[in-house]
Amino acid sequence: MIKINVSGLAAKEIVYKVAELGGDQVDVRVVADIVGAREVAQGKADYYFGACATGGGGALSMAIAILGYANCFTVSTAGKPPKEEEIREAVVSGKKAFGFTSDHVDSAVPLIMKAILAQHNHEN
Amino acid sequence: MLWTKITIMAIAGALGAALANRGIVLFHDAVRAIMPELMEGRMRRREFASLVFGTSFGLLIGFGIPFSLASTIVLSHGLWLGTDIIGAWFPGSYGRIKDADLKSRLGLIGSILSGALFGGLLVVAFETVTMLVARLPVNFFSYMGDLSGPIIFTLAAIPALAVAYQYGVKHGVIAFLITLLGRQLASGMRLAEPDAWAFLAGMLVLTVHAIQEGRCEVAPEESFVVSAEQIKRVRRHLPWIAVLGAVYALASNQGILMEGPQSLIALAQGDRIGAINYTVVRALSFLPLRTMSILATGVFTMDGLGFAPTLGLVSPNAVVAGIAGATVMSIEALGLVYIAKFFNRFPCMLKAANSIRTAMTKLLEIASLVGGMLAAHRMAPGFGFFAVAGLYLLNESAGTPVVRAAIGPVAIILVGITLNLLVLIQLAT
Repeated sequence: MIKINVSGLAAKEIVYKVAELGGDQVDVRVVADIVGAREVAQGKADYYFGACATGGGGALSMAIAILGYANCFTVSTAGKPPKEEEIREAVVSGKKAFGFTSDHVDSAVPLIMKAILAQHNHEN
Repeated sequence: MLWTKITIMAIAGALGAALANRGIVLFHDAVRAIMPELMEGRMRRREFASLVFGTSFGLLIGFGIPFSLASTIVLSHGLWLGTDIIGAWFPGSYGRIKDADLKSRLGLIGSILSGALFGGLLVVAFETVTMLVARLPVNFFSYMGDLSGPIIFTLAAIPALAVAYQYGVKHGVIAFLITLLGRQLASGMRLAEPDAWAFLAGMLVLTVHAIQEGRCEVAPEESFVVSAEQIKRVRRHLPWIAVLGAVYALASNQGILMEGPQSLIALAQGDRIGAINYTVVRALSFLPLRTMSILATGVFTMDGLGFAPTLGLVSPNAVVAGIAGATVMSIEALGLVYIAKFFNRFPCMLKAANSIRTAMTKLLEIASLVGGMLAAHRMAPGFGFFAVAGLYLLNESAGTPVVRAAIGPVAIILVGITLNLLVLIQLAT
């Protein structure tokens, strides 16, 4: 089971999308961003997703403070849509927290989930 | 008046870039988040500067500029994202300036000069563009006012939507009806600004929900870790924070600079109460985020906690605005610890703020689209509806290169330019 914590703008939409894409392979919930990032740091959750207006700001600021910049990845920013190849590399290299803009929920979440599920199924 | 405007914006630009360069205050949350990487030597300045540019430039062009063009009041994003970029680009150290090496001192001077130039040029550029567009066969800027209706009147829906997001649709519908009732009662009693009263009614419902929920999920650990070192860093720079508050509130008071697109559009339309309400709701919705971000990094926010523009709008004149702004931003800086403690006691308030932000963002997106369609239709009946709806969906299928919230002003500009071209080749009149 992959545990994913979601926070930030449009958190509910992200949760529905993750649940739909991940099916019974994922356990996903909305949490306050501090709690969400801290659980990832403690190993209680595997990944952290956050959305804000710009992708890197509200979405990831707590995650960066708690998990360190090296574990965080900005998937998209205003005017820069997500790229599949970059996301795949980020997941493979072990990034734990993903930030994107609320504009890009529909395009970013499927790409991140695809990469995470591929990584997970590869490991097992 | 023009010179006053240029001077104030040049001062704001110089101040913003200098504070960004010294790592004292930054506008963009994303930039603040990575600032410790640079300060503690895990990232090189070149990499930092390019990251800052990458996260800020799109927002500056796609969000800051269109809303500023819509009114000639500069949207704070248009100024402060630029000063972040300038401050990040010049070399700098983070100790006291009197201990700094020559390179850092030159970096500071460079930031001040470039920031002043940038702030002043912003005003000149917006005024020039506005003047040129006014001479075109179709002055499309005169239609920007159509954005204001949808933006001003959706304010009252924010709390009810936040209730729906957080406590479910049933409570949301009830809150919505209470808001509606509040509006009709106020308008029946002939009170000024029935929408402001409706908004207050909605906020009351949201507050009641939040109090009822009380200490919802009791977190095993405290949400906010307050580090004495970061607090000290903020307090050491208090005089500069006060100056920033004064400049920000003064510029807001004079209608030169505004904190958000909604308050800007309301103010441009002469609805000062609506603008004040929007500054308050934005400040509240960003309160936990800004507090957290400052406490985690020791770097303050250009907006403070968001109440300096409110005080600027409330103040009767520029002098009072300056004093009030300096005071409120200092209080914000000194009060961070208490705000953190409050959120530690009531962690569900964190979620409430998030819900308000989601509601506010989505409403702005709708208002921007609808306002854009109305304006374009009035400019070019029929063609306008076709063009804006089409542009919106083309933007979606392209992966939203234009931020959804800015689709209104951007669409008005594009339709306006097209219309002028058509007039030029005599395909339209």
